[in-house]
Amino acid sequence: MTTADLWPRIERLLSRVERPSRYIDREWGAFHTSDAGYRAVLVYPDTYEIGQANQAIAILYSVLNTIPDVSAERAYLPWLDMSALMREEGIPLFSLESCLPVRDFDLVGITLPYELSFSNVLETLDLAGIALRAVDRSESDPLVIGGGPSAFNAEPIAAFFDAILIGEGEEALAEIVAVHRAAKAEGCSRSETLVRLAQVPGVYVPTLYIEDRTDGGFAGIEPIDGAPVVVVKRVVADFDALSPPTCGVVPYMDVVHDRFGIEVLRGCTRGCRFCQAGMVYRPVRERSADSIVRAVMAGLACTGYDEISLTSLSTTDHSQLEEILRRLSRRLAGSGVSVSLPSLRVDAFGVEMARLVSAGGKKSGLTFAPEAGTQRMRDVVNKNVTEEDLLGSVQRAFEAGWRRVKLYFMIGLPTETDADVVGIGEMVSRVLAVAKAATPPNARGSVRVAVSVSTFIPKAHTPFQWEAQIPLEEVRRRQALLRETVPRKGVELHWHDSDVSFLEGVMARGGRELADVIQTAWKAGARFDAWSECFRLQTWLDALAENGVDPAAVANRQRSVDEPLPWDHLSAGVNRAYLVAERERALSAGVTPDCSFSGCTGCDVCGDLGVDICLAGVSRG
Amino acid sequence: MASGEFRLRVRYAKAGRLRWLSHLEMIHALERSVRRAGLGYAVTQGFSPHMKVAFGPALPVGTAGDNEYYDVWLTRYTEGSEVLASLRASTPGDLAPIDVRFVADGEPSLGAAITIAVYRVAVTGRESSASQVRMALESFVRSGSLTVQRKGKDKVFDLTRSLPKEACVGDKDGGSEVEITVRMGPDGSLRPELLVSQALSHASLDAAVAHTTRTETFIETSEGSWARPV
Repeated sequence: MTTADLWPRIERLLSRVERPSRYIDREWGAFHTSDAGYRAVLVYPDTYEIGQANQAIAILYSVLNTIPDVSAERAYLPWLDMSALMREEGIPLFSLESCLPVRDFDLVGITLPYELSFSNVLETLDLAGIALRAVDRSESDPLVIGGGPSAFNAEPIAAFFDAILIGEGEEALAEIVAVHRAAKAEGCSRSETLVRLAQVPGVYVPTLYIEDRTDGGFAGIEPIDGAPVVVVKRVVADFDALSPPTCGVVPYMDVVHDRFGIEVLRGCTRGCRFCQAGMVYRPVRERSADSIVRAVMAGLACTGYDEISLTSLSTTDHSQLEEILRRLSRRLAGSGVSVSLPSLRVDAFGVEMARLVSAGGKKSGLTFAPEAGTQRMRDVVNKNVTEEDLLGSVQRAFEAGWRRVKLYFMIGLPTETDADVVGIGEMVSRVLAVAKAATPPNARGSVRVAVSVSTFIPKAHTPFQWEAQIPLEEVRRRQALLRETVPRKGVELHWHDSDVSFLEGVMARGGRELADVIQTAWKAGARFDAWSECFRLQTWLDALAENGVDPAAVANRQRSVDEPLPWDHLSAGVNRAYLVAERERALSAGVTPDCSFSGCTGCDVCGDLGVDICLAGVSRG
Repeated sequence: MASGEFRLRVRYAKAGRLRWLSHLEMIHALERSVRRAGLGYAVTQGFSPHMKVAFGPALPVGTAGDNEYYDVWLTRYTEGSEVLASLRASTPGDLAPIDVRFVADGEPSLGAAITIAVYRVAVTGRESSASQVRMALESFVRSGSLTVQRKGKDKVFDLTRSLPKEACVGDKDGGSEVEITVRMGPDGSLRPELLVSQALSHASLDAAVAHTTRTETFIETSEGSWARPV
């Protein structure tokens, strides 16, 4: 590359922006290779402090940097003050490590962490000086690849990517790089390269799929140039054999999840019917206790963190969790290093594990997710938790000295009635009563129950993918109903902004018609939509109207199960018949057990993808 | 200091790109480098145990430091040169330790003991020669006080008290360099780059502060002389 290092020009801006440490690089663990023949930059489309701890980027950064003659750098979206100055000074989006323009790299990988990041993807491309639409890119533009959770319904954002990886990237990204390098070496054109990339399993090349909109609406999608009819997600069969990154980048800035994170297991088969992650990351694959303890000790020595987090969709389900926590607390005694667990399983075991990690230290608060307020509603969503489980867990926790508990609920679930909404308030009242009774009288004043209520958004690839999201006015009515029934004293009630949930719902199940909408909204100033101070629904409503898209028809419409869906050509490996059957069981409030310990429930992930559930220990539950 | 603990004083620099760190960010970075060094460090007792470590006066975001200090309490004695080598290997180059020394139990804390700081302020611009800047500064200092806005309130520094030594100005790289010695107080310390900026604008000079470095910090002895903390 011939472009000059942008650092001297960037440094001149730093005294004029908030938090300059977002832009300075030089962290412990950052890779600096100057002479690689192939260079990739991995972009998180939000600020440094939001994206730095992203484990997918950390993994792919480490994977790419171990390939000979390949280097990977990082880039984040500058905050509004910095991007305004950069545009004023004509400075393009830059990579942190070598401070080179992002557009000069061979590959630009942009992660899609949530639907609300879509406007930031356009902002990223524009600030980088890369043509927004894949079809408008020239031979000298880098290859722009997407991936991550929101790739499972890629259609709204597909037009802006040359290719999108569906599923896990550890093995696939190396294959993409190999194909791209070979194509470059052979002098392939951009379109020839994309035809080749479409042959890499898991790679979706949007320009090679043509929509059928003969009747005005979406009627299906067909591949051209030999691209696969259905792109099936990538999945790593032997998860325990992958060594987790232990010498990752250690930030200077106070970032979210500023600790050593170790992914203890991948996937979750509890089968909650609202949960996209539970459906798309199947099957469950655990790392063994030995691998985990070894990685934690190596990671602490290499990074210097004073906190570790055992991450996954459902950490308390790890079959060797107790052994892992006992071994870690023995090894870490006296070091001041603490261990944190994400939300806990709602039972005695969950509380016991929380006691193990907090022994002698602070008890900051426990988090449980009952999700719904009545047993009927919990059965509909297949959240196999009873009120008895929850109250018993709360009692044990407060008897053990905790004074604060956080509960997650959803409103707007399929079949929800006012009785279910009121049920949340009643459940919170009983939790508060149990918590107080289990607390010595002189400490009861400090008992707190934090209640966080989000609005259910039907997601692609779940049994509820055909359901209608409740309209905005109805969300507000149910929120008001709930507010009346939740006790005020001792309870902190938090809502998810209903406007945000509405847009998320549109993006979650929309199709290619949303590309113009996203571009219009971005042009009108939409960016950082996940930041409440930046989000304005009106910008999006205007963009939808301008492009003739009815958002209610996307978010609030009940679909029939035989209707073609915009993500039908992208497969998470879970078959449609299973989702239909799960939907039917939901509507009759029937439950489905967790296949990790109760036998196969027929989702077909294992058979179709040639993988299996891998538990490290002998038993679970 | 509990028995069996060894108080180590580390002299280090805050340089290069890392001058853009805030004090809190730097503290976290240095604590992490101590943990990576594999030195046995003491941990505070109590509800939320953490590393026993204490830092000298804070440096603002953007200001570099040539000779900064922190104390860390170790649980086992290791030869100073060995400690230094481990810390060097575990610390980012722009925060590298320069030397280390074990200090006695009774020594006052760095924060309380250090009361004098010397700064180098680089000035650039069309009218930034040493003579122009010197005149501007002398005239401003004669006015007697510096008023700065802090959190919406005016704070007034008495320049006779805050400046225990006359500033030195020299030509440097087409501009100039000002050496300013500041007496630090418990209720805030004068920021030398603000003094220079205000002096420049007071004299209507087309010049600006380019960057600032704290070159030394001193402890005042009972006889009134100044000594390095190590």
